[in-house]
Amino acid sequence: MSLAVPAVLLVLWEICSRHAIVSPRYFPPPTTVGWVLVDGFAAGDLGTQSLVTLTRLGFAFATAAVPGVLLGLLMGMARPVRDAVEPYIAFIFPVPKITLLPFLTIILGVGEPAFVLTGATSAFFQIVISTLGGVQTMDPRLLEVGRNYGARGARLFWKVILPAALPAIFTGLRLGLGLALVALVAVEFIAAKSGLGHLVYRHWQMLSTPEMYAAFAIVGALGLLLTRGLRAVQARVLTWQEEIGRL
Amino acid sequence: MPTRAPKVLVNEVSVTFESHGRSVVALDRISLQAHAGEFLCIVGPSGSGKSTLLRVLAGLLPQSAGDVRIEADRPGTPLTAMVFQEHALLPWRTVRDNVTFGLENRGVGRAEREARAREMLAMVGLTRFAQHYPHQLSGGMKQRVGIARALANDPEVLLMDEPLAALDAQTRTIMQEELLRIWATLGKTVVYVTHSLEEALLLGDRIVLLTARPGRVSQVYSVDLGRPRGLEVRGSPAYGVLLEKIWSQLREEVVRAMAEDRGGEPA
Amino acid sequence: MRAMSHWLREHWIAVGSPIVLFIAWEWASATGLLREAFFPRPSTIVIHLRHLAADGTLWDHAAMTLVRIGWAFALAAVLGVGIGLAMGLWRQLGEGLDPVFAVIYPIPSILFLPLVSFLVPPGEIALVVTTAVTSFFLIAFTTTHGVRQIDRLVVEAAVHYGARGWRLFATVLLPGALPFIFIGLRLGLGFALIVVVAVEIVSTSRGLGALLWLSWQILKVEDMYATFFVIALLGAVLSYGLAALRTRLLPWVQDVAERAG
Repeated sequence: MSLAVPAVLLVLWEICSRHAIVSPRYFPPPTTVGWVLVDGFAAGDLGTQSLVTLTRLGFAFATAAVPGVLLGLLMGMARPVRDAVEPYIAFIFPVPKITLLPFLTIILGVGEPAFVLTGATSAFFQIVISTLGGVQTMDPRLLEVGRNYGARGARLFWKVILPAALPAIFTGLRLGLGLALVALVAVEFIAAKSGLGHLVYRHWQMLSTPEMYAAFAIVGALGLLLTRGLRAVQARVLTWQEEIGRL
Repeated sequence: MPTRAPKVLVNEVSVTFESHGRSVVALDRISLQAHAGEFLCIVGPSGSGKSTLLRVLAGLLPQSAGDVRIEADRPGTPLTAMVFQEHALLPWRTVRDNVTFGLENRGVGRAEREARAREMLAMVGLTRFAQHYPHQLSGGMKQRVGIARALANDPEVLLMDEPLAALDAQTRTIMQEELLRIWATLGKTVVYVTHSLEEALLLGDRIVLLTARPGRVSQVYSVDLGRPRGLEVRGSPAYGVLLEKIWSQLREEVVRAMAEDRGGEPA
Repeated sequence: MRAMSHWLREHWIAVGSPIVLFIAWEWASATGLLREAFFPRPSTIVIHLRHLAADGTLWDHAAMTLVRIGWAFALAAVLGVGIGLAMGLWRQLGEGLDPVFAVIYPIPSILFLPLVSFLVPPGEIALVVTTAVTSFFLIAFTTTHGVRQIDRLVVEAAVHYGARGWRLFATVLLPGALPFIFIGLRLGLGFALIVVVAVEIVSTSRGLGALLWLSWQILKVEDMYATFFVIALLGAVLSYGLAALRTRLLPWVQDVAERAG
């Protein structure tokens, strides 16, 4: 991946901002933002707020992952379960999950459980759909191999169905993690009083733009790191996979 | 020469599928036998239900009528092991673990499994690739693993569903010779489904010709071309005569099947 | 008639499951098993939905949201397909912009609201542009990928039979990329809905997102459910409607789901 173009863009921005070709008030030079980042982490505030967001993300992901994978597998293997549950999944999946926040806050009150659950549902539906897809699109001949070579019941599940669905499950977890981050940052931006999303909102309102861009940059880095990181983990764990899709 | 004891008995077997509320007859009262140690080839046009028949023999598909018997003379060994078209290896298992898959499911101990895998991989010439994953192998090598996996299971009857169809012509020729060698060594009963009449003539003791949809037994031919047989058999006059005779029959079936696919238009 | 009864026999669970759920919900709320303050009875929600529709409130907000989605989607589609095609056809451009896209793409689109409001006049335009950001990236990504995945042999064959320049683009490259462009458009439309609702919650008093938020602030729980239902319906129409359109417009493309059986 060549970094020439991003570097040129940053330098261009720096020059334009320093010479007031663009308003430095709204578009402060990247170096200024860079120093804010350094100071923010040194003083602890940026680090603390990042940790708040990451903690929420961890809880949301943990809440979504296990039930999501289990439901997806169950739907893939038991036709009645799939028939009973699929209408809801299909109906809720395209809905912006942020709309669940008001419902969760009237039930649970404004606070961490409502925030975290909003992020979790966002991941949950993606994980269910990917896992189900993994079971449904598995090569049917592998099932025949399993049965012809004596793998039945639980053995067929552990030795054939689960490994065959594993790449799709991994993809679902990766996409789910990304979606949970998006939902959580939106929740923070809209409703929470802490976290990176809230930081962007607050500094926008106060027009302290260098701080706003600093928080913005951390969210971007976090998103990139998480998706890239999980992809690397997937490549390490599933060494037998030929290649891992780009999108 | 194969002994005359029957190993596989198929009696009046029919298979009917339900699809969208309509029933389609795939196999219509098929009867045939394979003797112990025989290499039986099943040939027919697309849609004649060759693979369906094999799946009934493997117990993967229930027949709608009739019965299938496979004589077991060694208790504890599986009745069948199938070699699939395009190998169907488990991509998350190494070559060795693919070969031991059936043994593992039957609860055979680790030491014995590994010894058996070594033996079978040596037989198909893949000893050096035991720790590789399927995606690291060529098409021909993958199918060798598929064959080793079936043989490791030591089944009463070896079922092969167009195992070489996906390979290029040269690899296929080499694999045919390999198959002859392995079969001569082990003396297994084999039921072998193929599109290719040439392949059936090279490998088989007898050839069962199926008709186009629904699949019925059209004719059974004995391949009296002697054993051991090699590629040079293709130059012999007897081979040419037999090929011509079966092909004229098969051609009719293929043309009929094609006409049916076009909706009954005459060819 | 026979086909219908056959269909029903195959899918009775999928049809019955929501019916059972709604009846159970109605019963649980009526008997107090569920707190009606949080889980109003479906029949009550329907009544509120009818009120909202009758006095025009619902249409007002829904129309606002739809217009915003329309503009944002048009903007994202034109720019996304244009830049995506350019990135796919012109390698240096593609490789240069890839890392920029990779960094910006995972950023939640709501965070672009401040940035966009510095760049363009605040209000309606900023809202539409923010809504377009994520859709734009998705469409550009899939379009680029669509061009890059075209079989080289097909391109060689086309050149061999005399297709060059504009003709090559119009007869081979564009149709070849079209299935992927369509996937991008569909995903982009879905994301436009997701983002517009979030943006409406933050910064406006009109639109379905705003209606949901206002209903929450004054604790009109039935109106919240009614609005949610309309948003979900919109989501279903947008994502499944476009999928149906695809089979009409690109009949040669085999559906991924169909292939999976």
